[in-house]
Amino acid sequence: MKKLFKYIFMLLAVTLVPACSEDYLDINVDPNNPTSVTPDLALPVAQAQTANYLFINNRVNTLGNLLMYNWSQSDGYAWYPDEFKYLMTSSFYAICFNRAYQDPLKQYNTIDKPDDPTMDNYTAIAMIMKSFHFQILVDLYGDIPYFEALGRSTNPAPKYDAALTVYEDLIVKLTAAIEKIKNAGEDALVPGIDDVIFEGDMEQWIRFANTIKMRILVRQSDMADRTAYVTEQINAIVAEGTGFIEDNVGINPGYKKEVNKQNPLWDSYGRDAAGVEVMNGKATCATPYVIALLQSTNDLRIDRIYEKPATGHLGVPQGLLDYDTPVVDQYEPAKVSNIGPGVLQGPDQDAIIFNLSEHYFNMAEAALKGLITDDAKALYEAGIEASYVTLGLDAAEAQTYYAQNIANVNWDFTAAANRKEAIITQKWIALNGLDAIQSWFDYNRTGFPANLPVSLLATTDDRPVRLMYPASEQASNSDNVPAQKNPFSDKIFWAQ
Amino acid sequence: MKRILSSLVCLLLFSWFAFGQDVQIRGTITSSEDGNTLPGVYVKIKGTNTGTATDANGKYQLTAPSNATLVFSSIGFKDQEVEIAGQSVIDVVMSSDVTQMDEVVVTALGIKREKREVTYQTQKVSDDEILKAAPTRAATALTGKVAGLQINSMDNGVNPSTQITLRGFRSISGSNSATVVIDGSIASLGALDDLNPNDIADINVLKGANAAALYGSKASNGALIVTTKKGAANQKFTVGITSAYTLEKVAYMPDFQSKYGTGWEGAYDPIENTNWGPRFDGQVRQIGPTLPDGTFQEVPYAPVKDNLLSFFENGDTWTNTAYVSGGDQTSTFYISAGNQTADGIVPEDAYKRYTFRANASKKIGKLELAFNSTYFSDHTNIVGETIGDQDRPLYWFLLNTSANIPLSRYKNWRTGAWSTPDTYYNGYYENPYWAVGTNRNIDDTRRLMANVAASYDVLSWMKLTLRGAMNNSWGNGKNWRAAQKYADYRTGNSAISSFVEDTEFQNKDYNFDAILAIDRDITDMVSFKANLGATNQTQEARRSRIRANNLSIPNFYDVSNGTGTPEVEVVESKYINYGFFGDFTLGYGKFLYLSFSGRNDWTSTLAKGNNSYFYPAFGLSFVLTDAIKSLQNNVLSYAKVTLSNATVFNDLGPYAINERYSQFVGFPYGEINGFALSTTTVDANIKKERINTTEVGIDLGFFNNRVTFDASYYNTRTTDLITTITPSIASGATAYLTNIGELKNNGVEATLGGRIIDWSGLSWDLSLNYTTTSTEVVEITKDIDEVTLVTGGGGLYGVYAIVGEVFPQIKASAYKRDPQGRLIVDPVSGAPLEETGYKILGRTIPKHILGLNSTLAYKGLSFGITMDYRTGHVYYEQGSDQMEFTGRSLESVSANRQDFVVPNSVIETSTGVFVPNTNIQVSGGRQSYWTDVYNNVKENYVKDATALKLRELSLDYSLPTKFLAKTPISKIKVGFIARNLLTWLPAENHFADPEFGNIQTNDNAVGIGGYLQSPPTRSYGFSLNLEF
Repeated sequence: MKKLFKYIFMLLAVTLVPACSEDYLDINVDPNNPTSVTPDLALPVAQAQTANYLFINNRVNTLGNLLMYNWSQSDGYAWYPDEFKYLMTSSFYAICFNRAYQDPLKQYNTIDKPDDPTMDNYTAIAMIMKSFHFQILVDLYGDIPYFEALGRSTNPAPKYDAALTVYEDLIVKLTAAIEKIKNAGEDALVPGIDDVIFEGDMEQWIRFANTIKMRILVRQSDMADRTAYVTEQINAIVAEGTGFIEDNVGINPGYKKEVNKQNPLWDSYGRDAAGVEVMNGKATCATPYVIALLQSTNDLRIDRIYEKPATGHLGVPQGLLDYDTPVVDQYEPAKVSNIGPGVLQGPDQDAIIFNLSEHYFNMAEAALKGLITDDAKALYEAGIEASYVTLGLDAAEAQTYYAQNIANVNWDFTAAANRKEAIITQKWIALNGLDAIQSWFDYNRTGFPANLPVSLLATTDDRPVRLMYPASEQASNSDNVPAQKNPFSDKIFWAQ
Repeated sequence: MKRILSSLVCLLLFSWFAFGQDVQIRGTITSSEDGNTLPGVYVKIKGTNTGTATDANGKYQLTAPSNATLVFSSIGFKDQEVEIAGQSVIDVVMSSDVTQMDEVVVTALGIKREKREVTYQTQKVSDDEILKAAPTRAATALTGKVAGLQINSMDNGVNPSTQITLRGFRSISGSNSATVVIDGSIASLGALDDLNPNDIADINVLKGANAAALYGSKASNGALIVTTKKGAANQKFTVGITSAYTLEKVAYMPDFQSKYGTGWEGAYDPIENTNWGPRFDGQVRQIGPTLPDGTFQEVPYAPVKDNLLSFFENGDTWTNTAYVSGGDQTSTFYISAGNQTADGIVPEDAYKRYTFRANASKKIGKLELAFNSTYFSDHTNIVGETIGDQDRPLYWFLLNTSANIPLSRYKNWRTGAWSTPDTYYNGYYENPYWAVGTNRNIDDTRRLMANVAASYDVLSWMKLTLRGAMNNSWGNGKNWRAAQKYADYRTGNSAISSFVEDTEFQNKDYNFDAILAIDRDITDMVSFKANLGATNQTQEARRSRIRANNLSIPNFYDVSNGTGTPEVEVVESKYINYGFFGDFTLGYGKFLYLSFSGRNDWTSTLAKGNNSYFYPAFGLSFVLTDAIKSLQNNVLSYAKVTLSNATVFNDLGPYAINERYSQFVGFPYGEINGFALSTTTVDANIKKERINTTEVGIDLGFFNNRVTFDASYYNTRTTDLITTITPSIASGATAYLTNIGELKNNGVEATLGGRIIDWSGLSWDLSLNYTTTSTEVVEITKDIDEVTLVTGGGGLYGVYAIVGEVFPQIKASAYKRDPQGRLIVDPVSGAPLEETGYKILGRTIPKHILGLNSTLAYKGLSFGITMDYRTGHVYYEQGSDQMEFTGRSLESVSANRQDFVVPNSVIETSTGVFVPNTNIQVSGGRQSYWTDVYNNVKENYVKDATALKLRELSLDYSLPTKFLAKTPISKIKVGFIARNLLTWLPAENHFADPEFGNIQTNDNAVGIGGYLQSPPTRSYGFSLNLEF
């Protein structure tokens, strides 16, 4: 009997005694997912997310190309019904709001450590890239969560800040980032191959910061009451002296022809890792307006921006319902101009987040307005040349092109008053397929390119001028989210 | 001669009677249920202690005074008295005592209690009821049989999954599934699905947290206490075989239009997957591509009747179980082996499983040892779920087959005319038969469960039980897709890439319990029972996945065959929980019981110092009819009331308290690796969620307990809900795990049962059960008034928890309506306007569930049915939504593919002024209105989920034992069985079974289904049970 008790209690001891030891329950450490990582493991993800944000289908670049009449839809696909109707709702392209905050901004924020001197370079990169993203958000939505954003569990309902306030702070942050790089100490970590934009070349980051500042300032350059501010800030950039980007700013962690490893624009509209043409690519094609314009101006870029079918270039009007009249199957994917080889170069191409051509056109506009002393014409022509080169043509071909005495092609064709139209129109052509969202912002600000058609399904005279706040903000941040603005008439502050 | 004999007997009898002389009586006792003989029936001479018992063949013999009365009694049957009155042969048919008020119930942790002591609602389902229609899964066999229990069959594939909830939902993000306990040890729903239903002795359903409080953090959703067959002491050695064969057919298909066929925007197109062509005219037309040799396929442009139904085959299922059981004075055993082979309705879907069980017990003096074990293995081979270049499910390929396509002709996809990938008609979506042949999902799983218990009678009133259990499951799977390239003359199709994915998983659960049970009468009137114990649970899980893409060698599905970097993933987790508990019941006069229980838990999922929780429960049971005997009369025979309250907590998942990074998709790129911070952010002060339930119950028995009525009302309040809410995404997170808000869940359940007819061997038992339950979201946070569980259709519909509404709730894009409910249309386009926000459209769990069980028996013949009716809820008919694009919906032909004035529509001429719209037509009536406008209003697909189902039907016959007397066979029972034979749905639901649901990452996101599952089926067949 006693013996039995002994055994029973031994068994009890075996089962329960470990429970009493201090660290018995100390097993709550995820063996598969770390709770912290070094900045060199966080930065390349943030940058890849920047590329994804812009170039995965039905995100920022798709929106720009559809609203700016660059892209349309082939026969057999119902790919863009909402876009063609300008169906501006709180769910329309809400991904442009959500993905910015939940992916790259969140990730850059993990390496934004202003109080840690060893992190100065990473912090500066984070500040520059956050500014890059926040500007796009302001340009899409106007007022946005900014100062209180990215607080995660500490602030699940951040306040919104006025668009102009954000814009001014972006300049402050970019300036501070440049200072941080310049003043980084010996013990500050310098990124290497983990910086998949500049490979740790911090001077390039200063140039990029100045380039973004220029984009921010030129966008406000039509506002009479901002002239003094813009002038002052541009003078500060010039005084800083490092200068601007000298090449396209591209992200490339090592894109290659493998599942999940391809350049996002190529992966979305080109071919999959097995080399098969993807549906989005077949479904997406040129509009007749752009085809006619490029043809009438003898622009060689036509065969680079669009794929030339054996039957010749053909575009489809946006919002067409009857694809088979007058000719049955005329708009089949094989017969229309899909996205071209200059835009879709290959699975390993760089994801260009800032085109050199755009920078030249921004500078040309600044020069035209007397904000900088550089030669506006030279910058304008440099912009066209950069566009030709980016698309796989050469500078000489660009020179032949802009030497033609055609409106909005030749700098001297147009009177001075309309040179702005030439700059914006050329910027629109240059960014076709590549970064068309910038063209939409320019259109809302300047109305160029003039006479750009609207979709056949549009119920408004012109395209929308802003996106609506996502429904999730109404549900989760109702105390702070501003009332929805009219997406067709309430322009962003820089266009008012 | 005969007459002389009979006269003589009469005379003799008379003389015995007259003199009260002892006579020899013999007879056979049989059961009214099935006509079988009953061994062990006690036969007593009334008023004496003299008696005997029937032998193994149900026969007895005794000597009694000729004027005496015999009393026949046996557990589970009603006592019967028969006057001898001169008879020498008295055969008695015993009818079962359907309402044993003082049966013993198995409660939490295997603790046995008399039902009168129990202070909460439980309901026991016996093996007869479970096995009525030869189910392949035990859970489905409970459907409609227990008040408060909702079982959902999520699909009807060859290896279906089920969802079990008791009393609705109490948690937004946590589990609402009942805990499964097998032979005293916590198991899992998977373990229940893996049991052979024939091995189950009974399932006792503990309906709420009050009943299950001793399970601590596993208590909140009630529990199914499953007891497997053990063999009985002194039971004769029995060998048996149970077999069933059922045929499975599609019960109904969605309703399709059959007026328009292949085409796009009103024009005929020979390679279209959609039905937007011209109206059928019967003319022979080309379908599919023109081959390089100039040939093409032609079929009449007319609807092909049941063209999609013809794709599905008849499924069939064979189940067999062989079992051996027996027992002597000190030991019992039960051993079984079972198998199931099934072919599904989808061509080539097949399933096989094997189950083995060995249970044994042995008494050695004061020590009792028990061992229960089961081994399970299965093999599933079904069509893949990522078919074609768009990773679509099979149903998509069917829905994208136009109405004029004779689909069943294309079965021979390898070589058949117009059936091969290059010659098949459809220019966008492949031949469904090809899909079946080139996309496979193959899984093998195993499970070993074992449970060892030792009980020792320390004192006559004190017993110590130690129990250890393991529940290990593991398996591996292979999912592959063949590559497909197309000839140049095919313009539509995109080439399809190949892959192979290898998966493995293992789950290891261990449970240890130690219980000291005390059962002591303090005085004649006061009894005391207590259980003190400790429990420990460890769960380890691991799963891994390797996927290789773009295979080099065709039809060779090994991960080495991939090109590029294989995708690799390993997910592991470990969880430990332990607790100490005490459970005390004080009884007075066998009619009043007061119980208290408490458990303290420590969990690994929370930080030290913050991980200890106490779970208290109180209960009261009062048997009125025993306390006040005068209450008993001819009508009322039994009345008991109960009251209880329990507080339990739901635990977090492992590692959930920490924000983590994971390798980002695409990485590593060569030497560059990258980790992304999770999009889920976690409250730094996260803790368990608290659930408090109060329950009152009443049990009544009428007419000597021939009719019983049980009812209960419960009210549950959940606070500090562990919930993943959607923060402002501008916070840098899409999900925020925190403790928020409050849920209120209450409901009533009632069971009315009784023997309606009990006359001369004919009996009719009828039982009705009713459940109503509602969970209301009282509060979330001050900033947030809804939690999104899941969304679909690009966010246009979803399942939500919304403050002030019943949970879960469907919300979707909806029409803008005037105060009279008419659709407001755009004055220019005529198209209906949409509400700016989404509209709340209905709860997704039934408001009312009514179950009916009926058994009509006469001698060996028995006819049983189980029906249930669920109503008061809606579901999102995802299949209809998907079908809108293909132009096969009935709605799409409601205006004959013309532009039309939206019926019952108005125009808002000035604010608040609505004028009927009589002439402004929508445009795009031939297609784009339906695909782009109508399809955007997801309200169109939210349908009444009411269903009345004849779940089970059985007609069986047990051969009377007398025919078997000269054979070694002791039992033959044959039956016709049917499952889901009939379903009635409201007219507006013309797509699928509303019970089907998608498997979501959040199990509580019920209410979306009908597309990822194959069509509903009915099955029927035969069953056979032999015993030797």
